[in-house]
Amino acid sequence: MSTAPNFVGPDRHGLFNFWPRHNEAIYRRLETKHAWLETRHHPGGDGQPDPLEHEMILNIGPQHPATHGVLRCIVKLDGEVMEKCVLDLGYLHRGLEKVAEHKTYQEFMPYTDRMDYLSPYSNNVAWCLAVEKVAGIEVPERAQWIRMIMCELARISSHLLWLGVGLMDAGAVSVFLWAFKYREEIYSIFDEVCGARFTVSHSRIGGLASDLSPTAIAMIRRFVEEFPKELADWEKIINRNKIWIDRNEGIGVLTAEEAIELGVTGPNLRGSGVDYDIRRFEPYLKYDEVDFNIPIRTEGDSLARYFVRMEEMKESVRIIRQCLERLPEGPIRNDNAKLAYPSKEEVYYAMEGMIHDFLYTDVGVCPPKGAHSYHAIEAPKGELGFYIISDGTGNPWRVRIKAPSFSNLQGLEYMMEGAMIGDMVILIGTVDPVMGEADK
Amino acid sequence: MAEKLGNERPKTPEALKFYFTPVDPPRGDELNPHAKATTYVPEVVEALKERFGDVIEEVELYAGEHTVRVHTDKIVEVCRFLKEEQGFNYLADLGGIDRFTDEGRFEVFYNLVAIERRKRIRLKVRVEEDNPVVPSVTSVYRAANWNERECYDMFGIRFEGHPDLRRMYMPEDFEYHPLRKEFPLLGIPGSLPLPPQTPGGPLTYDPFARAHGHVPPPGFEEPPAEDEERSEH
Amino acid sequence: MLDLREGFLTTRLDVVLNWARSNSLMPMPMGLACCAIEMMAFAGPKYDVARFGSEAMRFSPRQADLMIVAGWCTYKMAHAIRRIWDQMPDPKWCIAMGACASTGGMHRCYGVVQGVDNFLPVDVYIPGCPPRPEAVLHALMDIQEKIRNEYSVALDYARGEPRPAALPARPHVLSPEGDEPVAREVLHRPLKST
Repeated sequence: MSTAPNFVGPDRHGLFNFWPRHNEAIYRRLETKHAWLETRHHPGGDGQPDPLEHEMILNIGPQHPATHGVLRCIVKLDGEVMEKCVLDLGYLHRGLEKVAEHKTYQEFMPYTDRMDYLSPYSNNVAWCLAVEKVAGIEVPERAQWIRMIMCELARISSHLLWLGVGLMDAGAVSVFLWAFKYREEIYSIFDEVCGARFTVSHSRIGGLASDLSPTAIAMIRRFVEEFPKELADWEKIINRNKIWIDRNEGIGVLTAEEAIELGVTGPNLRGSGVDYDIRRFEPYLKYDEVDFNIPIRTEGDSLARYFVRMEEMKESVRIIRQCLERLPEGPIRNDNAKLAYPSKEEVYYAMEGMIHDFLYTDVGVCPPKGAHSYHAIEAPKGELGFYIISDGTGNPWRVRIKAPSFSNLQGLEYMMEGAMIGDMVILIGTVDPVMGEADK
Repeated sequence: MAEKLGNERPKTPEALKFYFTPVDPPRGDELNPHAKATTYVPEVVEALKERFGDVIEEVELYAGEHTVRVHTDKIVEVCRFLKEEQGFNYLADLGGIDRFTDEGRFEVFYNLVAIERRKRIRLKVRVEEDNPVVPSVTSVYRAANWNERECYDMFGIRFEGHPDLRRMYMPEDFEYHPLRKEFPLLGIPGSLPLPPQTPGGPLTYDPFARAHGHVPPPGFEEPPAEDEERSEH
Repeated sequence: MLDLREGFLTTRLDVVLNWARSNSLMPMPMGLACCAIEMMAFAGPKYDVARFGSEAMRFSPRQADLMIVAGWCTYKMAHAIRRIWDQMPDPKWCIAMGACASTGGMHRCYGVVQGVDNFLPVDVYIPGCPPRPEAVLHALMDIQEKIRNEYSVALDYARGEPRPAALPARPHVLSPEGDEPVAREVLHRPLKST
């Protein structure tokens, strides 16, 4: 062949290069974004061309082993340092807020499971509490205590996954296996209580779907006894590991003012010294009757957030122990059949029960027209809240989901600038985003 | 009231008797069992009224939560007052609401938190459908950046003074605003193309391609080299 | 014997190749959402997938041959997934894990592609939301069965000939008396009329 072969190049001869206007907008933003780093690194500046071509625009994601889901980072690199960063979200966007307008309050429960899918029980409880606030439904005591136990188990489960995946991304794959072993124990507990491993929809508006059996309580007790010892073992290795400490110390530093200004939430705020935890700020369920500490660190770097989350796991175990001791007997659901599902005996053996069950499934709870309220809980990722506006029917008029990962990712965009490309994985791990929640 | 059934099997027919529960309307006032003290802020509302007078259009109280509706042009000053003088330094949330009325169709709400004082307040502004423009509060709260972008993406409300008003979730090529009430839940077919069925082929505009018979062929064939013809299949 | 069409040697070679391919599947986990967590559990210590030969979860498409789409796929993400699928070398198979990847699942809305099979040739669908890891293992075994019944060498390089469809997997149905597999014709016997 005398002529060179004509390979289809990366732009595929002008074929669709998916979402051309979207990518143009991103690159334009990358150009115009104010990067104070540029003056720092090119003090001679003034439009002189870069002789060694240090600058490069690198696209990381949306499919990437280390981005904790589908997160796309478009990064302008100067050698190894990330000068500017633009995060592109929306690769997991479902339009849950729109879906909510077409479902009843109880029908929306499984959608909340799949938002922060690392700790689905917390999302269920958050939604139930938000609806109970809008409609003014009381929840019996036993249900509140059980919800607390399950929420804290979900918190431990979420932090275990953060630990496993964060350390696996940094290179220590064994921790992933250890963390998953205990996650499987928690899954078995959820399986026994709710019937599903995760993405349980166990909470009902007005209470719970079913009670804890004695087997479940025994399993929880066993877990609560074994887990702190294992956690202490892991800490002995990880806390003294020079590689882990070097990789995390001084990375992604956020001062308290910056953290508040950026709107980050959860362990990111508490790792920077801000004392903001919804369990203390606006106690819900029975958190004001339980004795626990809120771990706070002031350094604001990635290592501080690591310690905050490890301490939170220990505090969760403490809370579960206290809840198990103080669990009262009683009903697990509100008995007003207009506001909560009647019990199964009533449904099967009484006509009114069956009618109420049908109507509750069909129409559901009807908060007053024009009612609107916001309720937030302390999910493992931060402040998860639902702002519900009702129009008097069984479907909400507007549901606004305040997702903690969304705010945390805004902070991540700020943290990435000035960091090195090798720290990107650690930064994403320390912020711990869940894309299902950030993208809704 | 009958004894609670709890979770045991009822043993006698009398225990199964279902007692009609009273029809209490759901309570939304301060006696709401979930109302919290942090959201009840009459002193802040008074301070706002004193300072801004008739910029404050309406004050609502439901379930112990104060919501203050503010005139749209003054939202930045109100936010600055709340942040600097009242200590509401944390913006928890910002979003849009489609009221689907003829006047004042869209609303934008702001959830503000004063961490030190343990208080929350909600602000709202109302905009018309034909000119949905709201001054951006990113100069006051930096956390508003992405939230306002999301509000623009979902409702089409433009924020004046926003440094980077792009779409948040949907790609820029998408022409509609999904959370508006007239946008159908399943979307508009063809507004978001699917990838081609064969590499290098045309985009798929039919969202139910498989159901309509366009099955993507299994990729068992390697693309032919330059000088060979593709064999007939 | 050396005949390309089902000669003795080529079919034996087929068996060996298919055995090797099926027992060393390298999954490329397209882990999008909650099903990705179950996929991590399926690779985790309790439901170990390494014992099936799929220890190496290759995140690079060039090194993988099985793509497990786990989670709902949005229109925005679909193009990335298709591009990654195109980058995977042959032979490649695809598992749609979970209800959302198979049909869009509970997410019947504007952002979610109603089934990844609208743009990807899926081999095995796994129902469930999320499917238990045992179900994913079952799907992996189904793919292994499918691979074992494929023509890899025989008829592969025959140009100009249409490739016949792979034989469907043969179910191991045991007869009530013993453990001899029942012949296919017997299975389709009409019901006895009483």
